[in-house]
Amino acid sequence: MENTAVSKYTISFGLSLALNSVANALLVVVKEKSHTVTAAMQKITGHQWVTHVAIILILFAVFGWWFARINNGQGPKIAVNRLITTIAAGIVAGGLIITGFYLFAD
Amino acid sequence: MNEILLMFHVLFGVACIITAVWLFVDVLHASEANLNRIRGLSWAAAIFMWLAFLIGGYWYVTFYPADKAIILKGPWPFAHSFFMETKEHLVIMLLLLASYLPVAAANNLAANKEARRLVLGALAVIALLGLMIEGHGAVIAMGVKVALLAGQH
Repeated sequence: MENTAVSKYTISFGLSLALNSVANALLVVVKEKSHTVTAAMQKITGHQWVTHVAIILILFAVFGWWFARINNGQGPKIAVNRLITTIAAGIVAGGLIITGFYLFAD
Repeated sequence: MNEILLMFHVLFGVACIITAVWLFVDVLHASEANLNRIRGLSWAAAIFMWLAFLIGGYWYVTFYPADKAIILKGPWPFAHSFFMETKEHLVIMLLLLASYLPVAAANNLAANKEARRLVLGALAVIALLGLMIEGHGAVIAMGVKVALLAGQH
């Protein structure tokens, strides 16, 4: 019989990937629309893009580890099909927000 | 020196795409015989992506402002205002995906059809997004070229 379970880290970091794809895009919109935010991000590392990358990478790691610890350390109980749909939705949404923003709003 | 850096940035990006395509075929035929190769290659794809990202990020922060000024004065300002702006942010998603790959590939892909689908989906997005980002890089380079050529006339 075919095994359908995946590791808790596959699910937790998959959810974190979807979440942070959208967070990445929203951070683009926020920093492009607010000079205060851009200036603050510039101040933290010396370059706003470096700060942007650092924020998203840290959030990816933190949410990945945190999701793995919920349900008494067993991680979220989500079917793999649902995980695939969630990751795809996060990536498509993130990509569309970034592309649409620079195409139409910036 | 900065041109050499840029070539390594592209080289590792292409290496990541080629590895993703190789992996895609290997995962389609996943068995106990090729599981170790799949896991090794998924780490290789992630490492290639990180190298491309770190080199490109260093180049972007250090050398790109000069190119940006040239592009914006030339006939293709969109090479920066659209292509570079989207590239520098879409690539973060690509980095997350490539970093996720070894985690997903650690499952038993030979015995688990759903895990295979997950990895195949991630690999397809890595290859397609990677190709798109390589194309963005080409447009940015062309933006510099057309600006310099326009300045000669």
